Amino acid sequence: MTTLLEVRDLTRAFGALRALAGVSFSVREGELLGLIGPNGAGKSTLYNLIAGALAPTSGEIRFKGTSVAGWKPYHAARAGVARTFQIPKPYRHLSVIENVALSALQHDRTVKAARASAQAVLAEVGLAAYAEAPVSILTVGLLKRLEVARALALRPSLVLFDEIVAGLTPSEVKGMTTLVASLSARGITVIWVEHVLYAIMTTAPRIMVLHRGDIIADGAPEKLAKDSAVIKAYLGEEMSLA
Amino acid sequence: MDGVPIAAERLPSRWRLMPERGTLSLFELVLALLCVVLAVLGLSQNVQDLLIQTFLWAGLALAWNVAGGYAGLISFGHAAFFGVGAYTSTILLVNYGLTPWIGLWVGGLLAAVVAGMLTLICARLRGPFFILSTLAVAEVFRIAALNWASLTGGAEGFAILPTPSVVRMVFVSKMTYATLFLGYLVAVYIITKILEGSRYGLQLFAVRDDEDAASAAGINPLLARTGAMCLSAFLTAIGGSLFAQYFLFLDPTHVFSPELSFQFALLPALGGIGTAIGPVLGAFVITPLSEMLRSYFGGSAAGLHLAIYGTVLVIAMLYFPGGIAAALRRLAGGHGKGES
Repeated sequence: MTTLLEVRDLTRAFGALRALAGVSFSVREGELLGLIGPNGAGKSTLYNLIAGALAPTSGEIRFKGTSVAGWKPYHAARAGVARTFQIPKPYRHLSVIENVALSALQHDRTVKAARASAQAVLAEVGLAAYAEAPVSILTVGLLKRLEVARALALRPSLVLFDEIVAGLTPSEVKGMTTLVASLSARGITVIWVEHVLYAIMTTAPRIMVLHRGDIIADGAPEKLAKDSAVIKAYLGEEMSLA
Repeated sequence: MDGVPIAAERLPSRWRLMPERGTLSLFELVLALLCVVLAVLGLSQNVQDLLIQTFLWAGLALAWNVAGGYAGLISFGHAAFFGVGAYTSTILLVNYGLTPWIGLWVGGLLAAVVAGMLTLICARLRGPFFILSTLAVAEVFRIAALNWASLTGGAEGFAILPTPSVVRMVFVSKMTYATLFLGYLVAVYIITKILEGSRYGLQLFAVRDDEDAASAAGINPLLARTGAMCLSAFLTAIGGSLFAQYFLFLDPTHVFSPELSFQFALLPALGGIGTAIGPVLGAFVITPLSEMLRSYFGGSAAGLHLAIYGTVLVIAMLYFPGGIAAALRRLAGGHGKGES
């Protein structure tokens, strides 16, 4: 499989604070990469740099072989990079289906076609029954699904998920992890930030741990659960994945 | 209500009773028909004058709403576009003999260019800072028009000879004006309805509701906003040209005034911002009300009509925060949510 995303020596400073301090990694096409780390580790900064919401202080981001560091969010979206927001950002005056259709409009020329695409994506994330509802009636769990639906409607080649199962019930978490795994099986590359460790550690075959702007571990979850540096920085104690 | 699917609530029916985004309703058709009847009925001069002003204000409120309601670009400077339209067609007519039928398009395009430049610079500002910048731009135009007397006539004003002629767009009959201005209102309304059901309209709503999310969905927010502001300015300038052709006199302190800018924003706010029918209802209620108050109380106690007018506005804003359009929807039994 070929490399889809390559990050090299990526640094972003906010004044004297280096939120990311020279991070390098690469993600292959179709890979499912979990990203964990304590609050303030630099996960959101990394997402904002890849998705174009922030420009890097220095370093390189290559997507599909092209240098994209410093691009705008809409460039990223058009090129096939979709993201969700940790705190859902719905278009609050639009219906659920319109929220999703807006993303579909990147590929569909008419509003009618985009609504049809959106309907299919809503069915996939379990929001079909809410298609015509105003977003104001959605609970937090449903808003997270709406975020996922909007990202998928872009038909992305790379998706950045940001805490999509936090605050969900166990059965909802199960549904979401199944969905994420199925995306990877369909060839969509996924990077997934999550604090609900059992969900991400049992779903993603590769996990990267970010701590104070550095990658301190990168590998299979079984290995990381016993890694002393990871335990010290984030886990607190050895983790059983049984 | 939480968690209950309400998908089946919207029954498929060809004609909806109350106005809804993107489709025409019976309410709108009946209202349009009523306007046509009133315009051609040949009522008294005073009533016809009121109709003309109401149609013009409704069109202008709709034009403002394209930027303020749909793109979230609250502007207190639309008098600049109104004035540019009014002065452009008038100067072209009086100094160069160009018919206003062409001049109004020139004014519209000029206003759109001004709006484009303004938005590209000022739309990076947020909220109140953007609003203040629009107010400032309109003031610049007012002061420039006052001082550039060789072009605009300055404080003395600029008059169009009241010689009736179709080519000069000057008419004797108020009925002709009423029909012309109703045409303007209907045209702006149709443009608004097409916009709100279109791909671009949806993108504007998205940028208005959440810029970050819209940007992450592939929309360039600055371009989307600029387009809306240009269209809004263009339509406002056309209204300005029509205003000039009816009143036949332009004065910078009125045409470029902040009061005018506030009125453009007030009518949609009262009628229902971000809807097509809202600004129209706002203008249909407020214009006759303010004119009637002026004629009843304007002479007896100076300023009383403004005090009553202000009180009515405050009460309306308090009790109908979503405007007349939302109140009507509630009356008709709709829940009113999910409409923008």
